[in-house]
Amino acid sequence: MALGAATEFAAGGGHRRAREGLVALYFLGPALAMLALLLAYPVLYSIWLSLTDAKLSAGRLETPFIGLENYATLFTDKAVRGALFNTLYFTVVEVAAVVLLGLLTALLLNHPMARWSGFRVLLLLPWAIAPVANAVLWKWIYHSNYGILNTLLLQLGLIDTNKTWLGDPFGALNMVLLVDIWKSTPFIAILLLAALQNIPKSLYRAARIDGASTWDAFRYITLPSLKTALAIAVILQTIWSLRTFDLIFVLTKGGPADGTVVMNFLAYRVTFNFLKFGYGAALANLIFMTSLVLSIFYVRLMKPGVRP
Amino acid sequence: MRSAGIVLALIVFVFAAAAPIFWLLLSSVLQQQALITVPPDLSPQSFTLGNYTAVFESAAQLWRAIANSLVVSILTTALAILLGAPAAYALARLQVPRADTILLMVLAAQMFPAIVIAIPLFITASKLGLIDTKLNLILVYLSFNLPIVIWVLRGFFTGLPAGLERAARMDGATVAQTFRMIILPISLPPLFAAAIFAFIEAWNEFFFALIMTRQTAQTVPLAISAFAGQYQTVFGQMMAAAAISVAPIIILTILLRNTILRGFADGMLKG
Repeated sequence: MALGAATEFAAGGGHRRAREGLVALYFLGPALAMLALLLAYPVLYSIWLSLTDAKLSAGRLETPFIGLENYATLFTDKAVRGALFNTLYFTVVEVAAVVLLGLLTALLLNHPMARWSGFRVLLLLPWAIAPVANAVLWKWIYHSNYGILNTLLLQLGLIDTNKTWLGDPFGALNMVLLVDIWKSTPFIAILLLAALQNIPKSLYRAARIDGASTWDAFRYITLPSLKTALAIAVILQTIWSLRTFDLIFVLTKGGPADGTVVMNFLAYRVTFNFLKFGYGAALANLIFMTSLVLSIFYVRLMKPGVRP
Repeated sequence: MRSAGIVLALIVFVFAAAAPIFWLLLSSVLQQQALITVPPDLSPQSFTLGNYTAVFESAAQLWRAIANSLVVSILTTALAILLGAPAAYALARLQVPRADTILLMVLAAQMFPAIVIAIPLFITASKLGLIDTKLNLILVYLSFNLPIVIWVLRGFFTGLPAGLERAARMDGATVAQTFRMIILPISLPPLFAAAIFAFIEAWNEFFFALIMTRQTAQTVPLAISAFAGQYQTVFGQMMAAAAISVAPIIILTILLRNTILRGFADGMLKG
């Protein structure tokens, strides 16, 4: 009986495979069509827009073709230079701080004394709360007269008078960075914690028998095992840092003196405040290209399709 | 000595992670007078629930925003699951030509900077008269939720034992029947996890909502941002508004901590 069914199954294999291909199309088709509509089409549209001097005036969008002029303007635009510097500084500092703090947090929570699940829930909270609510909260924490940050630092004797935390351009950029580091570290910590838990315990036992110190075990077992996870963390965090918007919009609106205008914010402002859609699209495409290159590296590291 | 170091590090960690959120909740139940005293006056008579009632009375748009956010988040999540689950199953278990390429594209889609699609989508939505409608947000949010759902579910479907479909097919079930009657019932936990991710992402989303809505379809993050701009000196009410917007997410996160922890760490690390 079982044998009969098995031969029948084998004989019908080719036909079945063809039918399966058709079914797969039904299963996949709607999702792929939706993604094409929401991602592929806008990207192509955005490339075309960036080649025009698209402007919105009196509710009508005019799109005269101007070739690569928008991209040429990028090189001479002072606002772009400022935003590029801010973005570079913001991204480098945030990625370094988040990955380092994330690693330290993951190592701490992987310690036998820190296995209580409450710690992990605590880690999830900054990640889960809405970026806007978070920004509003920090606006209150940073308040120059009544903010709790000034109060705490005064009580501890670390400052003599209240500080205006968002008052000068570079200071404001750093204070925005601080909030974003606080919000982003948990995700990277959870990622690295998962990777830490995949390292076989037997490696550490063997190392201890061989007389290795804790530092040796960290240097020669933990770090090499985390290499891929750390690379993934760096790439993901870079992509996310490039996307920072909500926090800047609520905390500083790009000010003071454009000190917190990053590329993403500049593209938004040029497009939706100045209504220069073509130039805005060119700026957006620059961010897109950077993210795309990064995600290619990420995809290489993930090697999807290869089962672990 | 060493365990003292661990305890100290844990204290620093707990303070760093929890203190801002604790301060958010604490200031939301303190009177204005207590908050502008330095240091804040924490005596029992300073506590009040007045900030919450005041927020709901003074901000009629907050009620509408909550209703909008619920409708948008729930419907976009439902659509993402409806379209994403069969797609994830096909990519994981069926013969699909170029499945690897499709997967890479889904993965890359999660990394799209919102600004690059926001400009064309805004123009298209304007032409179609969809600006300031919930339908528009529901569709636009699929641009990030659909890839997330496909990615999370594909990971789960790939891990199922190989014999499942063969057994079902020997009993004469079609692929669609197998998916509906065998695979879906055992996939409820990951379906749930994927839905939670999608819901949180939609509930918290600000950028597209800022560009694509005006008044009628305004969501909670926009209402909070507007409220905080308008009442920026009424600190207790500002924090009450923020607390209202994060409450559903905090409750969801605490209830579903294990699902979330397992779901996202694995999904981001493994292909």
